[in-house]
Amino acid sequence: MRLQLAVLSLRRHASRTLLAMLGVAVSAAMLLDMVMLATGMRESFASLLGRNGFTIRVSPRGTLPFDSEATIAKAGDGAAIIRRITGVTAVSPVLGATIHVLGGSAPIAAFALGIDPAVQGDYELIEGAHPSVPDAIVASDALLRAISAGLGDTLDVAAGFDPQLQTYAGRRRLVMTGRARFLFLSATDRAAALPLATVQGMGGATRADRASLFMVRTAPGVDPEPVRASIERSLPRVTALSTAGAVAEAENRLSYFRQLAFILGAVSLIVGFLLVTTIVTVGVNERLGEIAVMRAIGVSRAHIVHQIVIEGIGLSVLGAAAGLGLGLVTARYLNSILRGFPGLPDAIDFFLFQPGAAFRALGLLVASGIAAGIYPSWRAASLPISTTLREEAVG
Amino acid sequence: MSALRVLAIVLLPLTSAGAQRIDSMAPALAAERTIAIDERLATDASIRVGDRVVLAPEPGEPAGDTVRVAAIVRRRADPSEVARSEYRVRLHLDHLQQLIRYGDRVDRFAVLTAGGAATDSVLRRINSTAFGFRAHRSRDIAVETSKTFLVVSRFHRAIGVITIVASATFLLCIMLLKVDERRRDVAAMRLMGISRATVVRSVMLEASFVALVGSLFGVALGFATSAFVNSHYQSVYRTPLRFAIITPGTVVFSVMLSLMLGIGAGVLAARRLARTPPLTLFGR
Repeated sequence: MRLQLAVLSLRRHASRTLLAMLGVAVSAAMLLDMVMLATGMRESFASLLGRNGFTIRVSPRGTLPFDSEATIAKAGDGAAIIRRITGVTAVSPVLGATIHVLGGSAPIAAFALGIDPAVQGDYELIEGAHPSVPDAIVASDALLRAISAGLGDTLDVAAGFDPQLQTYAGRRRLVMTGRARFLFLSATDRAAALPLATVQGMGGATRADRASLFMVRTAPGVDPEPVRASIERSLPRVTALSTAGAVAEAENRLSYFRQLAFILGAVSLIVGFLLVTTIVTVGVNERLGEIAVMRAIGVSRAHIVHQIVIEGIGLSVLGAAAGLGLGLVTARYLNSILRGFPGLPDAIDFFLFQPGAAFRALGLLVASGIAAGIYPSWRAASLPISTTLREEAVG
Repeated sequence: MSALRVLAIVLLPLTSAGAQRIDSMAPALAAERTIAIDERLATDASIRVGDRVVLAPEPGEPAGDTVRVAAIVRRRADPSEVARSEYRVRLHLDHLQQLIRYGDRVDRFAVLTAGGAATDSVLRRINSTAFGFRAHRSRDIAVETSKTFLVVSRFHRAIGVITIVASATFLLCIMLLKVDERRRDVAAMRLMGISRATVVRSVMLEASFVALVGSLFGVALGFATSAFVNSHYQSVYRTPLRFAIITPGTVVFSVMLSLMLGIGAGVLAARRLARTPPLTLFGR
């Protein structure tokens, strides 16, 4: 009965109801998008870092991994010390460098990672074999396209130039053994992975026994935090960062997006609330005489409040349902814009749909719709019946 | 003072090094090796002009170089550095090369040309004859490094469109309701013999007034919000960069949009009311 009356009341002003629903839908879509933006970056970044079980990153003191060209000296000893720490199951040293593939009209530059193929966590092999011998190299599709090379080809690679002697420095002939997808680089990056010793050797004295980063895997169930602290105590020249710390640091750098999401999400919620409140209040004011009549024939105050609250819920639920679809479409579009950031890893998404967070946000919007209906309905149901009837009848 | 890792760059004349000198010591005292440091480093490490600090290429390395802070500089507003919280120290080229044992090497040269065809010629000559060098036009580098901001700009535009749709729907709704509330007044006017056209015009005028006052209030709110946003993010990122700028174009666009929506909604609702028989509007 109450539901039927509420539906009839909403249908009486179909165009107004439709417009209000559209307004709530746009607010709901915006709210959903902002919730997805606020949680998406953190979740996808944490998921990326957690791949392959590496829970700690160790970089030169005061820097973040690959944030500068600084490197860790005596990398061999450092890796051995970390391996001895309780809870550590594997250490993957990584050295970053720029290499130049020679042979074409102009050298092609690429980002190279010196890795230990047995424990690396930087790439996934798509085809071929890992670079497990000193003269082996695996490359990203972008690099293979740029140098027009395939598996089995031999490349002429240099680590740098010596302008005075007009020669290439750190020159090697390397065999392409595999095609790989680099997890922390974008699909358009020209990248390659070589054995660590090869990259160190190509860099000469400045790269000998150095690493840009250690990726540390801890045993399942082991809290990475004490291990991280232990690494920093054992190696005073490094900064160790757990996955949680790295995510916090990334969030700090991208705090602008999180705060934007919070502000726009809050504005969307307020706009949705105001819209439902306005519609319900105006609707109630128009029906004061009708409500007084209902009260006069014995309809309870609670019944009237319920009926009007149901109208508010109806508007909010219908708007939220439409907003869910609209929000997912706009989130996909906005994500495609932000995925254009140069160098963004493929695995990172700015907008990530997480059912729990999304439905909590939309639930909040519906709850605000309920709250929006309570006060005007209670006020209307509490008006003196005879006075209201006289005023509404006489005008 | 504990060791701090900073990004060291070569000291150039401060007017051209993307920094503004905010304090410096008298030239007479500048006989020994001197450096310039960032304002944020000076604040965080409580360093003042004239203080002596030790520079080392590695943390804790005993063979450090004691230098005197000759100037404290403020970085210019550079969006590409906004999320980076690193400290910067400026040294003379030979000093930095010696400190980090870099030899007679540099990362890059900035070349001033006569412009126009001379730039093309210099680019061609360097790229064809200078082994190991690759010359780029400054404009191309600027385009490459500004890609991030193009993405952010596109994102802001998209968010702006969504916000405009949301606020337009809200505004349309409110204006329709506002006019609908005038049903009894409209009925009375019609019964007094006032023409439909006059009724529509009067309601439209009222809607325009409400939309204009509302949009002016919105502009004031926008200026206040923008001042808050700038103040907040300038303090968070410690930069003089302005994050929100309200241009005359933005103001005109928002006022015109709200006026159009307000008047449009007013006209629609008023015409509907004017067509309804007055007694029906009275509920008879």
